[in-house]
Amino acid sequence: MSAVASSLFPFRLKEVRRWLQGPRLQIGIFGIWTAAVFAFLYIPIALLVVFSFNSSRLNIRWEGFSLRWYEALLSNKVLLTAFQNSLIVATATTVLATVLGTIGAWMLYRYRFPFQRAIGLLIFVPMVMPEVLMGVSLLVLFVQLLNIPLGYTTLIIAHTTFCFPFVLVGIQARLHGLDPALEEAAMDLGATPVVAFWKVIVPYLMPAIIAGALMSFTLSLDEYIVSVFLTGANSQTLPLRVYGMAKVGLNPQLNALSSIFILATVLAVVASTVFGRRKNP
Amino acid sequence: MKTIVTTLTAALAGLLLAGCGESPNSTNAPEASPSPAPETAAGTAPAATPAAEAASPGTTDESKRLSIFCWSEYIPQSVIDKFAAETGINVSVENYASNEEMLAKLLAGGGNYDIIQPSEYVVGALIKEGLLEPIDLAQIPNIKNVDPKFLNMSFDPGNRFSIPFMAGTVGIVVNTDVVKDEIKGFRDVFQEKYKGQIVVLDDAREIVTWAFFAEGLPINDMSDENLEKVRPLLSQWLPLIKVFDSDSPKTALLNGDVSIGVVWGGEGAILLNEDPKFKWIVPAEGTHLFVDSLAVPKGAKHPNNAMAFMNFILRPDISKEISDAFPYTSVNAAAKQLMSPEQLGNRASFPTDEEMALMQTFEDIGEQGSKVDELVTSLKVQ
Amino acid sequence: MAGLAAAAGAPGGDLSHRRKPALGAWLVLAPLLAWLILFVVIPTIMLVVVSFATRDSLGRVVYDFSFANYERAFQWTWLRVFLQSIWYAFLTTVICVVVGYPVAYFIGRAPPRWRMILLMLVMIPFWTSFLIRTYAWLAILSRDGLLNGLLVASGIFAEPVQFLYTPFAIVLGLVYNFLPFMILPIYTSVEKLDGAMVEAAYDLGAGPVRAFSQVIIPLTRPGIVAGALLVFVPAIAMFAITTLMGGGSNPTIGEVIYRQFTSGRNQPFGAALGSLLLLVFVIALWLTRRQREDPG
Repeated sequence: MSAVASSLFPFRLKEVRRWLQGPRLQIGIFGIWTAAVFAFLYIPIALLVVFSFNSSRLNIRWEGFSLRWYEALLSNKVLLTAFQNSLIVATATTVLATVLGTIGAWMLYRYRFPFQRAIGLLIFVPMVMPEVLMGVSLLVLFVQLLNIPLGYTTLIIAHTTFCFPFVLVGIQARLHGLDPALEEAAMDLGATPVVAFWKVIVPYLMPAIIAGALMSFTLSLDEYIVSVFLTGANSQTLPLRVYGMAKVGLNPQLNALSSIFILATVLAVVASTVFGRRKNP
Repeated sequence: MKTIVTTLTAALAGLLLAGCGESPNSTNAPEASPSPAPETAAGTAPAATPAAEAASPGTTDESKRLSIFCWSEYIPQSVIDKFAAETGINVSVENYASNEEMLAKLLAGGGNYDIIQPSEYVVGALIKEGLLEPIDLAQIPNIKNVDPKFLNMSFDPGNRFSIPFMAGTVGIVVNTDVVKDEIKGFRDVFQEKYKGQIVVLDDAREIVTWAFFAEGLPINDMSDENLEKVRPLLSQWLPLIKVFDSDSPKTALLNGDVSIGVVWGGEGAILLNEDPKFKWIVPAEGTHLFVDSLAVPKGAKHPNNAMAFMNFILRPDISKEISDAFPYTSVNAAAKQLMSPEQLGNRASFPTDEEMALMQTFEDIGEQGSKVDELVTSLKVQ
Repeated sequence: MAGLAAAAGAPGGDLSHRRKPALGAWLVLAPLLAWLILFVVIPTIMLVVVSFATRDSLGRVVYDFSFANYERAFQWTWLRVFLQSIWYAFLTTVICVVVGYPVAYFIGRAPPRWRMILLMLVMIPFWTSFLIRTYAWLAILSRDGLLNGLLVASGIFAEPVQFLYTPFAIVLGLVYNFLPFMILPIYTSVEKLDGAMVEAAYDLGAGPVRAFSQVIIPLTRPGIVAGALLVFVPAIAMFAITTLMGGGSNPTIGEVIYRQFTSGRNQPFGAALGSLLLLVFVIALWLTRRQREDPG
């Protein structure tokens, strides 16, 4: 019977059944799902890029193709400086938050500190606390108690405070189920805890570190409320300049700015993958 | 992985450098290209040094600096640049999106500002608490350009502390393609048949004020009993509203999601300019006239520069420039003479005298603000 | 199946490897501790102190001890807002898990050099300004917008549908903005799955659904929990999205608190609401942690 069947089908029945049940089909379905989700994520982005070429100022109807917003953007020092400030603050925040979060997560995992649970709870406080509360209390802290003038420093501290919990939680998830033998093996071979951490644990944690860094950067870039209260005259970030703009219609120069930034980032990522390929054939 | 990090860092560095060649250590304050004198190290390095920000204490001559704290997008950048170019003063601008945000930051002691831009009821409150510096009108000769009806108003008699910057009103916009009936006032708007078609400002005090107007109560007397009196009317009105939006109510109207709006005059003006199907109506029961002003907070380090700026703003050509950008109600009679007939004909920007007679300004209601807010919130939560 | 999961060190794992900290460890932890104390503990204490104060007519805090704010906070108006915010946050979290898990799995199991691009591509849309992004959604969902244009033109609907300013729009906006914060943590768990183990799970004869639900999902549970936390917690206090997409008629607790600092001019009341929110959260977290650490 199977001899007849196998002569009729070019594939063996067993293989077909396996493929249908196997992980590959699942991956295929997930792939389609992922594509759909990406479409969902990018449709508004595509729209705002399109609107950056809209000749009308109001981002509601398409009225004609025009590059005027890109031209205006190039000479709009206020907006560009604000964007630059946002990038600076976001980058500094990401670095600080990632370091703080990674080391914090590792220390809490590896050692049994007293009041461990309290620390675990405190970490979530910046995430729960509404931004306006954090903004005002930090403002009072800096200005009245610590006497630190408002500017980049205060802004970066504030942003880091609500970003690092995201990093920490992400890394804790990755640490869960970490084989303790890993670190022990490294130390048996003569490494100090620091070296073991750097050469064994960090590579293991790298995906979580990167994920945490990405989240921090994103959170900081668009943070408005905390920034209102904690920024000085020279560290005005983009959201601060932008959020009142809705009154007269959001300036399409913003669309142009975002479009350029996204394009640059996507190109950078794609380029690096191409480079990576060439290096490791 | 390493290559990705390197490429991204390079891209980031490229973007940073491309920021018009301004490194983070140069002054980020908006200024015209002929930069003023080297003392403009306006608190620059990321570890902001305190000394650079303000003139040293006890000095009588002011350094050429001015720190403005104002609404986003309310003072066009071109105006600031012109001022900086003409006077050589280095101007730094910080923005806020509401009066109370400004108050919160000011009261907590953050930032030393020379000019703030409060609305009329805030001016009244600040004067009462002694938080404003008196201004010397002799240094502001251009005040003669201001339309007399905006001077000497109840919140600042004699203009001892503030000059009017821009006025505006709240009115009704109707999409006449959809709404065919005549709308004359608030009661016409808030009818059952318009349920789900209305957008209003997301401002509790404004909404309650409209109810006060409709009931004929004095709008600045927001006592507990008056609030209770309008509760039934409000509980009827609020469920009819589809969108609450103070930032850009015109969006909902332009998108077709709503067809009637009770919005700011400037929004109305933009709508009228955008499409003739929109009609502007000043409510017959009366409405709010707001007057945004410029004032100098107590302890400002550069009051003379502040007054120079105020004087500059009141120049007819500058005032016209501001009105071109923001079609609110200009307070500057001299500037109006420079405007086009279309601008002056926009009824949302320039109400007639009869309409102006229906309008009233706000006074500070202090703690009652909280009760007003609670009233509206409790009726919103359905 | 379950045995496999346990062997791989699934949650509830062995904690005996943790050591007592030596001086060096304390020194390394010190920066985090200092940061927490300075920028988290102290502001929280300030918050709680202010919540018992009152204010003057200008809105400045007056330090008269009083329970008035807390009494007020327990009124139904505010409680309802609390509950509604928690509900939206919960809904958002659940939807994000369902929508985001397959994406995280796909990226985590993709060829190594593709993972980075895909991950970044998930995040990049959120490097645009939040306002223009949301306005783009308004343009898509409005009555005269793209989606309705498509639906009416293709004949599926005769009249435009009201998408915007509805709870649907609110949840859509929330899910959109929080999806990356679900995908990324789950990804970090998926990424460390041992390929051999996954294959083994399928080879052992159970159907693909069982292999997935009984092996893979438990193995990635830490990631799912992390993602849920990183979405649920911030979503409660979120308000700009809900206001813009929802039309403002369903205020969230974040918006209500914000308003106390603006038109309400009642910072102590805002502080009280915030303290309550913190308290509720702390209790909930403490209870769940307790449950996990004492397996009983």
